[in-house]
Amino acid sequence: MKTENDPVTIAAKPKVAFFDFACCEGCQLQVANIGETLLDVLGAIDVVEFREVMSEKYDKDYDVVIIEGSITDHHAEERIKKIRARAKVLIAYGACAATGGVNGMKNSFDLDEIRKSVYGDDYKLFDSTPTRPLHQVVKVDYTINGCPIYPPELIEVLKCALRGLPYTVPDNPVCAECKLNENVCMYERGVACLGPWTKAGCNSWCVNNGNICYGCRGEVKNPAKNANDVIGKYNLKPELIKNKFDMYNKCKEADTNGNRK
Amino acid sequence: MNYHILKKDELDGFIKKLAGKMKVCAPVAKGHNNFAFEEVTSAGGIALSYIPTILPPKKYFMPPREKLLDFDISEGKPKDTASLEAGETAIFGVHTCDLAGIQCLNMVFSERPRDYNYLLRKEKVFIIGLECGGYCDEHASCALVGNHYPNGGYDLFFTDLGDRFIIHVNTQKGEELVESFCLAKAASADMIALDKVREGKKAVFKNEIGVEPGKLPEIFAKGMEKKVWHDIGERCVSCGNCTNVCPTCYCFDMADTINLDMKTGFRTRTWDSCQFETFAAVAGGENFREERAHRQRHRLYRKFKYPLDKFYRAFCTGCGRCTRACMAKINLKDTLKALAAESK
Repeated sequence: MKTENDPVTIAAKPKVAFFDFACCEGCQLQVANIGETLLDVLGAIDVVEFREVMSEKYDKDYDVVIIEGSITDHHAEERIKKIRARAKVLIAYGACAATGGVNGMKNSFDLDEIRKSVYGDDYKLFDSTPTRPLHQVVKVDYTINGCPIYPPELIEVLKCALRGLPYTVPDNPVCAECKLNENVCMYERGVACLGPWTKAGCNSWCVNNGNICYGCRGEVKNPAKNANDVIGKYNLKPELIKNKFDMYNKCKEADTNGNRK
Repeated sequence: MNYHILKKDELDGFIKKLAGKMKVCAPVAKGHNNFAFEEVTSAGGIALSYIPTILPPKKYFMPPREKLLDFDISEGKPKDTASLEAGETAIFGVHTCDLAGIQCLNMVFSERPRDYNYLLRKEKVFIIGLECGGYCDEHASCALVGNHYPNGGYDLFFTDLGDRFIIHVNTQKGEELVESFCLAKAASADMIALDKVREGKKAVFKNEIGVEPGKLPEIFAKGMEKKVWHDIGERCVSCGNCTNVCPTCYCFDMADTINLDMKTGFRTRTWDSCQFETFAAVAGGENFREERAHRQRHRLYRKFKYPLDKFYRAFCTGCGRCTRACMAKINLKDTLKALAAESK
């Protein structure tokens, strides 16, 4: 029996695998951008599959799978279900997996129209479904938002997953972190930014570097119902803000509960 | 009466000499009429004429993110070591509204249980105030709360007398600095000039909302159910800008972070905001201030009602930052006026 004097022991290194679906693989590339911390990460986990960096395959169950990309055809749907069946913990990794990301723009159009424009006259030979983020297809245990993901958040989520603790995605707007970083507000510069409606957790990464927030982390659970004041104060058009949001958040319309984390 | 003189063309030498002793921070222009306190090494980069900075100087007393302790759980009994990162810092050019803000925070963090990280860091901060000759802009309400004149809370205080600054020395630390810099004593002509500046300000600074400050406690005491809270709640974005930029908001959240070795870690505190959706949420799914209207109302009661009951002073400094930073045009002066009008 475990007593309080027992040292904390970590079981054998968890088997972790990376997989990708419809995406640019940029979030997986971010793993390489972690820098020195990567050595600590590799000390804590055992990477058994990661197509970008290794050719080995693994035939047993996974402790943790980290999935980049969204589900955009029937084959992908079957494949993610098979992966899910073999994984104890599934992490939706990056905007495409977490919210549908830019792939969701496809859902603004008629499916056949899109297939025609991509595949031409033989489009019927190429299977395609409306874009779905992972949680609309399988159970997701952890979500790492962002396009690309914010590397320190990957580390935090990974640590939670390894310890079996929940990770709470901050439900404050990006402004909350942006102010702490003392950036000059993008609206003061005369540029529309999605920070006031977008979930924080990225440490206002884009604005710190002179860019606007594109809403890649998805909307806060309860965004301002009446944004007319914001829009009015800066002479914006409501359609402009909505269009900007659609770039990353089109798939949200298919969320039945409407307030996913 | 301990006043000294610094000629304006000697300011650069003053800042450079000070920067040789400690880190010097001062208001710096960030473009688009935004300013921030940042480290300077000469007077060149200092914006002597500035509107309140994006973040108030509270960031030097309670950093937005601060490590409180390191811990180690590798042995049976967890071990912890307190952590304090603080170096000698001078803040130059602090306006009277922000001096008042620091005074408010001093009261809060001196209460038992004392906040040692705040109090120990405060000992390392040397404060040089700077008098405002006129309003920074239309959003300030410093006269309402009586913060347009200095009321202490500084080591040295600069007032512009045209070609020179007259410096009020308020502390032993200030005295030592002025002596080591060999600044001349003020003459009676300088004192007359200072009186003239102060007298001139009387005509400039007027109660900004046309409501007697003495009546505000009663207005708030009866104001819980007024319509104005609903109105501003409808507009609020819950971005937390108003509290993050407030010189007297001090709420924070604490979190433990474990390192990848899963044995060691650290505890941090980060500024929190009563405007956030999750601020008053508790286990079981209850949220005590679910409505934006209730959260906005709470914010203003924390400025004009509760601290008056507890500390006998308003925790609004009149700096106007909440109005400037609001994404939804929620205006402090208008809110107070509307509340007063409803209470008639």
